[in-house]
Amino acid sequence: MPNASSVRSPAPTALPHLPRSVPLRIGLGLLLVLLLAYPWIAPGGYLRYAGVLVVMYAVLSTSWSMVGGFTGYVSLGHAAFFGLGAYATGIGVVTLGLPHAAAFVLGVLVVAVFAAVAGLAAVRARGASFVIVTIAMVTMLSLLAQDMTWLTGGSAGLQVPGAVAGISRTGNHALFFYLFTVLLLFALLTWWFIDRSRYGAGLKAIREDEEKAEALGVPTTAYKVAALTVSAAFTGAAGGLYAMWFGNLDPIFVFSLVLGSSMVLMALLGGSRYLLGPTLGAFVVAPANEYFLTQHGESQLHIILSGALLFVVVLFMPEGVIPAVQRALRRFRPQSASIREQTQQELHESRGAAT
Amino acid sequence: MSTLSAKGLRKSFGGVVAVDGADLDLHEGRINGLIGPNGSGKTTLFNIVTGMIKADSGTVRLGGTEVTGWSPHRIAHAGLGRTFQLCRVFPRLTVMENMLVSLRRPRLRDILGGLTSKADVEVAMGWLERVGLDHLAGTDARDLSYGQQKLLELAAVLMADPQLILLDEPAGGVNPALIDRIGDLVRDLNAEGRTFLIVEHNMAMVMSLCQHIIVFDRGRPIAAGPPAEIQSDPRVLEAYLGV
Ligand SMILES: Nc1ncnc2c1ncn2[C@@H]1O[C@H](COP(=O)(O)OP(=O)(O)OP(=O)(O)O)[C@@H](O)[C@H]1O
Ligand SMILES: [Mg+2]
Repeated sequence: MPNASSVRSPAPTALPHLPRSVPLRIGLGLLLVLLLAYPWIAPGGYLRYAGVLVVMYAVLSTSWSMVGGFTGYVSLGHAAFFGLGAYATGIGVVTLGLPHAAAFVLGVLVVAVFAAVAGLAAVRARGASFVIVTIAMVTMLSLLAQDMTWLTGGSAGLQVPGAVAGISRTGNHALFFYLFTVLLLFALLTWWFIDRSRYGAGLKAIREDEEKAEALGVPTTAYKVAALTVSAAFTGAAGGLYAMWFGNLDPIFVFSLVLGSSMVLMALLGGSRYLLGPTLGAFVVAPANEYFLTQHGESQLHIILSGALLFVVVLFMPEGVIPAVQRALRRFRPQSASIREQTQQELHESRGAAT
Repeated sequence: MSTLSAKGLRKSFGGVVAVDGADLDLHEGRINGLIGPNGSGKTTLFNIVTGMIKADSGTVRLGGTEVTGWSPHRIAHAGLGRTFQLCRVFPRLTVMENMLVSLRRPRLRDILGGLTSKADVEVAMGWLERVGLDHLAGTDARDLSYGQQKLLELAAVLMADPQLILLDEPAGGVNPALIDRIGDLVRDLNAEGRTFLIVEHNMAMVMSLCQHIIVFDRGRPIAAGPPAEIQSDPRVLEAYLGV
């Protein structure tokens, strides 16, 4: 008899990452409405600020999973793209005197070109070597940003004037909350599009067995570089928005390994193989992070704890919480319960027969 | 016409000479067998020909084009498909996704096209039907039996419509009924004009299936000919039995 795990949905091409059931859809709809109303219902400036941060992290972890999730290449240095996007946008505004929108586009282009070139070298390394190359990349950019004081303001940071002159703090938070939300939607749409394309099948094949994918005709290097470039472009776009929103770029933060590992943690915790996994991860980890910071301040403990959490996720939930939750739900579903009932009924009958 | 020809291939791993000045010439439209003792360099030869490892010296031509040094995906697009000795499928992809990894032509339109693109799915379903896996299209490849995975691997190779197919021990680890099925499938595909090169230790299968057999020993061919001739060749007996 076929068991539940070997026979799945009959639709051959269904990639059912979008929830099908009506209650889930209504729930998601409500969540969306709440999300959009957030800047107006959030009590207090700090929570408004934290809300922007959470959506920004959702963009970052979703972008990260375009490489980490599809190809399985784990980058710890994605902050390189974030920081580069932030600085290129900031420099575009401050030094080149560009309008904010033009500086933003410039920032994204700079990051995409950088990622394509750096990627060509980086994707030659696999596994742990790739991780180290990405760490080297972000460390190098951090040092450059601190050194080139004439351009970046050095360790003192770069002050980027706000996008809208004379806007209130609340207005600024609301504006960027929506801008980040739009970026998140674009990132999700791109992820979804890749997921259901032949290109996506090729990327996933690289994750499963790269040599075999090559043998089947997948141009693996080109595929990986393209994935890295798209992922970096979204990460850089988030950096650009951050520069205009936050107004002060700290080279240590924007190019930090901590920022890069947060993206990894959020994506893996939620489930980097699922459309909404990284967003879910960001919605859990980023608020927890902020709460911890407000309670205990910036400390080593905070870094150690998130490191430990990453460790636990990688070891025990490498696919993230989404499949874990699905499994748990399946256990409580009536079908599996009915198997037990049947056995009990059979037991009862066999007892009845015996007496 | 020769579909695959190799000249003077050599490859050593450290001190071990795996392929030692091997020449190869396959005629189009035949089922060729490649036999030889364990460690005689058969798999290494496959890896060189498909571009997966670089030979120390020698050249490979595919249908008249020199493909020496080409990357594996380019060689695949030139019409060469292969399976692996230890069957390799993409475990966490569904059977259908496994099928849609390879593309006949790497055009941007096809690459970005959806997995639901009807024509591709129909072609994939056609192949799955031929190997008898169509009812498992939505199943993860890791949930298939080993024999089913071997059939899936072959079907996925066929998606690219290769004219030359290299099979590395298709009967290895497979039950007798399935061996017959794989044999029949190879015969049918050959009747459609595809050339095969099959490495196999199962002599019954090789002798009944192949029209031309090449015998490998210590990294180079020592004999070649039709099955009847090979079976009685003293050099072959020596290589296998050490007499
Ligand atoms: N990647 C490798 N590194 C080192 N040595 C290798 C490698 N691949 C093959 N060899 C060696 O090369 C020789 C030929 O191996 P190969 O796998 O080509 O033989 P084969 O004819 O396919 O054998 P079998 O019938 O057992 O599959 C063996 O001695 C093997 O140990
Ligand atoms: Mg072998």
